[in-house]
Amino acid sequence: MKLKHYQTIKLAAVIILAMAVSQSILFKNIFLPIIFMLATALILMLLRRRVKEVMADERDYQTGGQAALLAIQIYGWGATIGMLVLYGLRDYNLYYESIGLTLAYSCCFLFLLYGVIFRYYQKHKFADKKILYIIILFILFLGMAAFSLRLFSGEDDWQCQNGQWIPHGHPDFPAPTVPCK
Amino acid sequence: MHNHIKELRIKLNITQDQLAQRVNVRRETIVFLEQGKYNPSLKLAYLVAKELGTSLDKLFLFED
Repeated sequence: MKLKHYQTIKLAAVIILAMAVSQSILFKNIFLPIIFMLATALILMLLRRRVKEVMADERDYQTGGQAALLAIQIYGWGATIGMLVLYGLRDYNLYYESIGLTLAYSCCFLFLLYGVIFRYYQKHKFADKKILYIIILFILFLGMAAFSLRLFSGEDDWQCQNGQWIPHGHPDFPAPTVPCK
Repeated sequence: MHNHIKELRIKLNITQDQLAQRVNVRRETIVFLEQGKYNPSLKLAYLVAKELGTSLDKLFLFED
């Protein structure tokens, strides 16, 4: 397969994925974009192996590494400053604290992931990627598990009791506007 | 770091694309190499020298 054909297929896959995500928002289905993302990633991964031309070489990896490091630094500074500002102004808007915490947690997770990968690359060869992928998948699984537990545990949330929305814990957002049945 | 990649490549009648394919890099990398804008890894430098039929110290000029 030629590189040009692969790039065309990749573009089409991204367009289809965007359509799937927009439909999932309309139908309030969170599993649809996840399934489409996994399927798209798998298809593109299989097709990439069939491309005979060189897609990325050592110069791309070197440039990518420098760009990624700078991007992490910029995001770290931006997220930290943003979090501090939003936390300081949380009395003015109910959502500021949630946004600030999201920035803080995402920044922590990014630096944790960077630290793990950096330490791994320092000790092992760049070719040993299988173990690194397993470690990254494990960290992602832990992160998603913690996120799901936090999101669906019912803690710090609004609960419908006797036709009224009752706060459970300390929810950071106002009561839902949908009727409580 | 200057080099004689372009001169030897033209002398051997090899295009940038052909040289890139032989050493398993993209054509743009060969362009950057010839312009002296990219310092290759030891492995890539060795492969390029081997394809051009010369040695590393004759292909690349190290300036103090």
